[in-house]
Amino acid sequence: MKKIILLSLVFVALLAGSCKKALNISSTRVVNEANFWNTLEDSRAALMGVYGLTRAALADNNGHWIYGDARMGNFDSPIRQDLKAIIKNDLNASYPVVNQLSNWTRFYAIINAANIFLERVPEVKANDQRYTQNNMDVDIAQVRFLRAYAYFYMVRIWGDVPFITSSRDGSFENRPRSSKEAILEFVQSEMLASAQVLPYRYSVNDVQQPGFYYNENEFRWNGALIRKLTAYGILTSVSAWQGKYTDVIKYANIVTTDAGKAGMGYTSTNFLTQRNGFFYDKRNEHLLAFGFVFGHQDASFTGNIESLVLAEPVVNKAIPDMFVPKDSILKIFRETNDGRFNIDTTGTTHSQAYFTNFLGRYPIFSKIKVMQDGSTDPTFRIYSSAIVVSRLEDITLLRAEAYAALGETTNAINDLNTIRRLRYNVDNKGQLNESASTFVEYNAIKNGPVLDAIFLERQKEFMGEGMHFYDQVRYNKIKQNNAKFMNLINTGGIYWPISRELINQNPLLVQNSYWK
Amino acid sequence: MRIIATITFLGVLCTTTYSFGNTARSACVSNHFSLVRSFHQADTAKTDTAKMDTATVGIKQAAKAISKKLESKGSNLDPKKLSIFPAISLQQYLKGEAAGLYATEPSSEPGTVQNMFIHGTSQPLLSQREVFQTQPLVILDGVPLIGEHPFAFDIQQFKFDRIGPAINPLTNINMANIKSVQVLTGLNATAIYGPKGANGVILLTTNDPTSKRRITFDSYVGVATPQSVTTVNGKFENDFRRQFYNKYTANGVYGDNDVYPLYLSDSLNNDYYGKSDWSDKYYGSQIQYGINASISGGTDRANFRFSVGNLRSGGIADNTKADRYDTRFIINMKPVQWLTFSAMVNANRLQRDRNRNVRDRLATVNYIPDLSSPIAPNKDKYAQYLGQFNKGFDNNRSNIVEGYGKVGLDFGKFKFVTTLGLDYFEGYRDIFYARTLLQTTNFASNYFGYNQRATVDNIATYDYDLNEDSKFNFSVGNTIQYDTYRYSYAYAYKGSNDFIKLNLLQSDPNRGDYLEPFVYRRELVYKFLDRTKNNQLSFYGKADYSYKDKYNFSALLRADASSNQQPTSRWFYSPVISAGWDMKKEFFANDDTFSELNLRASVGRMGRYENFDNYAQGPQYTAFIGFTGNLIAPGYNGIATLTRPYSSGSAGYGLEWAYTDQANLGLDASFLNDRVHASIDGYYKHDKNMLLGIPSAAEYGYTSVIKNGMAIRNTGVDLVLSGDIMPKTNTVSWTSSINVNYNQNKLTALPGGLNQIVLGDRQLKVGESVDSYWLLTNQGIYNTDAEVPSNGAGGKMAYNGITLKAGDPKWLDVNGDNAITDADRTLQGHALPVVSGGWKNDFGYKNWTLSLNFYYNLGRDLINQEMANRFDFVNREGLNSINSVREITFWEKRGDYSKYPIYNPWSSVSPYQVNQDIFLENASFIKLRTVSVGYDLTSMFKKKSPNVERFYVYGSVNNVFTLTNYTGQDPELAGFTGYDTGYGMQIPRTYTIGVKMDF
Repeated sequence: MKKIILLSLVFVALLAGSCKKALNISSTRVVNEANFWNTLEDSRAALMGVYGLTRAALADNNGHWIYGDARMGNFDSPIRQDLKAIIKNDLNASYPVVNQLSNWTRFYAIINAANIFLERVPEVKANDQRYTQNNMDVDIAQVRFLRAYAYFYMVRIWGDVPFITSSRDGSFENRPRSSKEAILEFVQSEMLASAQVLPYRYSVNDVQQPGFYYNENEFRWNGALIRKLTAYGILTSVSAWQGKYTDVIKYANIVTTDAGKAGMGYTSTNFLTQRNGFFYDKRNEHLLAFGFVFGHQDASFTGNIESLVLAEPVVNKAIPDMFVPKDSILKIFRETNDGRFNIDTTGTTHSQAYFTNFLGRYPIFSKIKVMQDGSTDPTFRIYSSAIVVSRLEDITLLRAEAYAALGETTNAINDLNTIRRLRYNVDNKGQLNESASTFVEYNAIKNGPVLDAIFLERQKEFMGEGMHFYDQVRYNKIKQNNAKFMNLINTGGIYWPISRELINQNPLLVQNSYWK
Repeated sequence: MRIIATITFLGVLCTTTYSFGNTARSACVSNHFSLVRSFHQADTAKTDTAKMDTATVGIKQAAKAISKKLESKGSNLDPKKLSIFPAISLQQYLKGEAAGLYATEPSSEPGTVQNMFIHGTSQPLLSQREVFQTQPLVILDGVPLIGEHPFAFDIQQFKFDRIGPAINPLTNINMANIKSVQVLTGLNATAIYGPKGANGVILLTTNDPTSKRRITFDSYVGVATPQSVTTVNGKFENDFRRQFYNKYTANGVYGDNDVYPLYLSDSLNNDYYGKSDWSDKYYGSQIQYGINASISGGTDRANFRFSVGNLRSGGIADNTKADRYDTRFIINMKPVQWLTFSAMVNANRLQRDRNRNVRDRLATVNYIPDLSSPIAPNKDKYAQYLGQFNKGFDNNRSNIVEGYGKVGLDFGKFKFVTTLGLDYFEGYRDIFYARTLLQTTNFASNYFGYNQRATVDNIATYDYDLNEDSKFNFSVGNTIQYDTYRYSYAYAYKGSNDFIKLNLLQSDPNRGDYLEPFVYRRELVYKFLDRTKNNQLSFYGKADYSYKDKYNFSALLRADASSNQQPTSRWFYSPVISAGWDMKKEFFANDDTFSELNLRASVGRMGRYENFDNYAQGPQYTAFIGFTGNLIAPGYNGIATLTRPYSSGSAGYGLEWAYTDQANLGLDASFLNDRVHASIDGYYKHDKNMLLGIPSAAEYGYTSVIKNGMAIRNTGVDLVLSGDIMPKTNTVSWTSSINVNYNQNKLTALPGGLNQIVLGDRQLKVGESVDSYWLLTNQGIYNTDAEVPSNGAGGKMAYNGITLKAGDPKWLDVNGDNAITDADRTLQGHALPVVSGGWKNDFGYKNWTLSLNFYYNLGRDLINQEMANRFDFVNREGLNSINSVREITFWEKRGDYSKYPIYNPWSSVSPYQVNQDIFLENASFIKLRTVSVGYDLTSMFKKKSPNVERFYVYGSVNNVFTLTNYTGQDPELAGFTGYDTGYGMQIPRTYTIGVKMDF
C-alpha cells in the first residue's frame, strides 16, 4: 500500500511539470515589459498614449475651461456651487471638483509617460527595423514637446512644481518644488529643440518627415500631432508668460511666415462658430489641439466647453452650468459691427454666433457647439469639439501684445487689425459686408489704448477656449494698475492651491503661501 | 495494484484532477457548524432512513476519520428547516444562522447580489474589488463555486451594479436538495480547500440517491407584502427648503443668478403639489412560491436521484421578481465492490425583473439627461413613466450549472478519489429603452458574460492502525483549478426609431460596410470585450493521529501556486496543525456530569488567493486613457494607446502572496443529560502582507503604488448555546438556541511601515478597525459670526482655509490647532457589526411545532446618506450628475428631519457633507425573522399508506418586526460601505404556507 501512495506521489510530481504552463498566463488586460517596446506598433501606442494622457489631463473635470475661463472670468454659474467658488477664486472650497482640479497627478502622468518613452524608445529602434531613425527622431521631438507643454501648463496653474525628467520606475522619490522660472527655461529650450526636428506636416513628404508617418496618410495626421509651428506657436505663449516679448515676436514671426507651409490660415467668424466648423474634427488650422474625433468614437459627454455652457434652446438641458451674464456681454461686446455678437440700438440681436437666447434669463454661450458630428439635434448631449489650445489668431494677437508692450504701436495695430478684418466685417444687422475688405479698423479714440484693445479682443476672440485667466495675468503684469489683482500676483493668489492629498503624500511639498 | 496505478495515471493524463474525497475533507473539519443535526424534532425518522439507504452506493466518508474528533459541535440546524424560509439566495438562508457568518442584504430586490463575511473583513471594503476578495468560498458537493469577477467594473462610470444581469451567483442553491450545510470558519477546517477558502468556506452537501424508490415533494406559496410608507408631495419639499431660504437669503433667492427649482416654484402645479399617491404603483404585494419534487431509486449497485424545482421570489416594490427553474441529477454506479463512479449535474435558470430606478438605468445608459425635475409623485404621472418601459425591454437571465464526475476506489484502508468538477455561471442582459425614457434618445445594449471554473482534484487516503491505541489517517492530494472570466458587451444610442430594437449589423459580406451597424450610428455604438484567466495548482499532504481516541492530532502541509502571482514568488507553502483532547474520556469517563467535553486547538497559515491577473505581470502598460466622466476613451486619433496604469496604480516587481495566520481554541460541552449543548470558539485571524495601493508617486503620475504589507487582524469569539428547556419527552417541549459572534477588527500594519493613509473619504490607521468611518464631530451651529472662535492669529477659525461664518457647523477642533482640517476627523463606528447572530426557539406540542427565529446585529453603525442628500439639496441638484437623481421614493418621508440643524446650505464649507457624526447612527437591531407553525401528519398518513415517510404542513410569517433606533429605512438596507443611500428596497413581510411530503 505504501507503494501505491508513493506511485501516486510520483505521478502527482509529473503532473506538476506539465502544469507549469498553466501557471504562466499572459494577461490579456495589460501588457508587461517583455511584450512592449519591441515593435513599431509599440512606439506608436506609447506615443499616442502621451497625447491621450495630455488630452485626459486637460479634459478632466473640464479643467481646461474651468482653469482658463471660469476662474475670475466672464462667466457666472446659476446653481453649481463649486463653479461659483472657482469663479470667486475661492479655491479652498470644499467641493470635489475644486479639490480634483488642485491635484496635478494627471499632468505628471504625461510627464512620466514621456520620460518612459524617451528612455525606452531606442529599444524599439534596436528591435524593429521598420522603425527608422527619422521616425524615432520625430517621435522623440513630439514627446519632448508634450512633456514641456505639461510643465508649462502646470507652472501657469501652480507656479513652482517638482521638476522630474526621468521615469524612476519602481523607486519613486519625493521631490520638492522647483522654481517656475527655471522650469520655464527648460520648457523653452525643449520646445525649441523639438521645433527644429519636427515637420510642418505629416505624411506629405516634408523634408523632415519623408514618407507616410506610421504608414498612414496625411488625413490621419492633419492637425492631430505636434508640428514645427505648434512648437513655435506655443513658444510664443511661453515667452509671453515669461514676459520675454522680443522672443514672442521672434517666434510669432516664424509661425505667421510659415503658416502656408503648414496648411494654416485665419478662420472666418462663420467657420469659427459653425457646428461642424473650426472646432469639429482635426484640422491643420489647429495650431495645437487635442481632438475628440467623432469618426474615431471619441465624442464625449464631458471634457469640453459645451458640457459647461450649453443649455436650452441649443441642447435639452434646462440650465447651463455657467453662462455669461447679460451685462457682461454688453460690456465686452459693446462695439458694433462685430460678427461674433451683434446687438442693435433697439436691443435686438442679429447674430447667434456667440450667444443664443440673449433675451432669456440665461444667455447661452454657443460659440462652440459641436453636438455629435456637428448636428443640430439638441437631444443628445455628446460633443466632439477639439480642445483647441492655440490657433493662428492667438499667435497674431500675442505678437500684437508684444509690440504694444514694447511700444511698437504701429506694428501692434497692424496685427490687431489683421484680426479685426476677420471679425468686424458685418453690418448692423449682422450680415457680412459686401466687400470682403471692408471692416472697422482699430480706432484709438473709440477703442482706447492699443494694449487694452488687444486684450479686449483676446477676451472676445478666445472666450470659451481656456485663455482668459492667463490673459488677465499678463495684462495686469503689464499694466500694474489693478491693486487687487497685483496683490494676487504678488502673493501667489494667481496660482491654485496644491491639493491636500498631494501634500499628505509628499512631505517635501509646501502649500502655495496664498492658500495656507 | 497495477490497476490503481493505471487509474491514477489516467486520471493524471486526463488532467482530470481530483477532489479531495470526502474522506480527507472531513478529516480536518473542525470548527464548523454542521447544520444537519437538529432537525430531529420533527424529522428524526426520515434522516435516519436516508442514511441507511445511502450506505449502499456512493463515494462516502472514511468511517473512522480521526479529525472528526476535531470538529466543533457548534450550532446545529437543518437545511429542511432553513428551507422553511422563502429565500432565493444562500445568503438569505444563512442570515443569522451560524455564529461567525454575517450575511448582508442591502436590498430585498429578488436575485440581487448579496455579500457574506466570515469572521469580519480582511480588507478595507473600498470597492467591489475588495468585497470580491473577502467572500467565503462556497463548495457544492466538492465543486468550488465561482463568483462573478468584478473586472467589468473597470469600464463602468457608475459602479452601482456590475454590467450584465447582476444576478446573485448564489441563487443556485435549492435548499430542498441540500443534505447538510456547514460553515467552516477556521483554518483547521478550511485549509484543505486552499487559498480560495482563506475567507472561510461554506460547504453544501446535496441529498444522496437512495436505493429504495423514494419520492419527495414540497411546495409553498406565499405573499410578500410591503410595509406602509408616508408619502409627501411638493409642498413638503417646498416647506422644507423654505426654511433655508428664509434663514439665509434676503429675498428668497440666493444670489442674482440663482434659480429656485421649477417643479417647486408653482404651488398650483398639480403634478407636484397634488396627490402623492405614487406608492400605489410602486409598492404592491407579490406572490412567492416554490415547488420541488424529487425521485430517487436504484439497486445496491447503481442508484440515482433526480429533482426539479421552480421558485418565484417576488419583490414588493417596482414589480421586481426573480424566477428560478432548477434541476439536478445525480447517479452513482458501483460496477465492482472497490470502484464507484458518481456524476452530478445541477442546472439552474434564473430570470429577474429588475427595478426601474432612474439611477440604475442611467448608470447603465451611461448618460445623464437633464435632471432638474424629478418624477412627479402623482400616480398617473408615475404610471406614464412606467409605461415607457413597456415600449422596450430589459431581459436579465443567468444559467448556472455545476457538475462533477467522480471516480472512487475503495480498498478498505486505502482509498482514492478523483473528481472533475465544473462550475459555469453565465449571464445575459438585453435592453432596449425607448426614446421617451431618455429625452428622445433610445438605447440598446446586449451583454453576455460567463464565469467558469474547472477543477481537477485527486486525493488518496490511507488508514493505518499501529495498534489498538494509535491510529493514523494519511492523505495526499492535488488540485488544479482553471478559472476563466469573460464578457462581451455593446451598447448604442440613438437608433433610428423605437420599432427596431436591436443593434442590427450589415449582413452582406460584399458590402463595404459589412458588419457595420446601420440602425444605430457606427460612432455611437460602443463595444467591449474582456477576459481574464487564472489557474491554481496545489499539492498537500495530511496526517491525522489519534491516541486512545482521547488525543487527536492533525497536521497539514500544502503548496499552492497561482498564475496570478509573479513568477519569482509563485508558490506558497503553508502548514496547519490542530489538536483535540477528549476530556470527557479523560476525566468523566464514568461520570454523567458531561455527556461530551472536548477541547480543540489549531494554528496555521494559509495563502490568500489573488483574483486579479495584473499584479503578476509586474510593471505594465494599459490601454486606459480616460478621465473623470469618460472612462472609455478608446484611443487617440483612432489609434490604441498603451501607457502605465496611472489611475489604477503602479505595480512593480517583487509582489508576493498575501497570507492569513489563524489560530483558534474551542470547547464543546454537553451536560445535564445532554440537554444543554455549548460550543465556544475563540479565534485569531491575522491576514498579512496584503496588497494595497498606497497613494503616492503623484509626481510620477500615479494615483497609488501597489505594495504588499497591509495586515488586518480579526479576533473574536463564536458561541453557540442550545438547551432543551422543556425536553422532547414532555407533551410541551421547548428548545432554545442562540448563536453569537463577537468580532474585533484591527488594522495592524500598512505597507512600508506607514501609520495611516487616506483613501478617498476613508482613513486607514494602524490600530483602528478598517470598517470605521472617518468623521468630523459636529457640535451644533454657529448662529452668528461672533460665535466663531478665533484662530489664534487674529482671524476666525477656518475649515480647510475657509473662514467659518454664521450658519456653518460647529465642528470639534480635535487637535486644538484652532483650525478645522482633516486632522480633526476621527475614526468612528463600524460598518460591520461587532456582535451578530441569531436566536431560535422551537416549541413542540404533540404534532405541532412552533418556531421563532430572531436575527440581531449589535454595534453596527450606518451613515444616513439619504438624509445628508436631502439636506444637501443645493449641491446635489447644482451638478447635473448621477447624484442629482431623485427617484420616485424621493416622495417618501423617511428619517427624522428634526435631528439636523439648519445650516447655510450654500456655504462653501459643505455644511451637510456626509462624513460627519450627525449622519452617523447606531444601526443595531433585532428582528423577528420567522414565526412558523407546523403540523406533522406523518403518523396519520402512515396508517393509510405505509410508504409515507413524512407529511408536514406549515405556515410562516417572515420579517415580522424589527426593533432598532435607526431612523432611516431598515438598518439592514445598506451596502458594504455602510452608507445608507436609501436605495435598498424594503425587506417585505411574507406569509407562506407549505407542505413537505416524502414517500
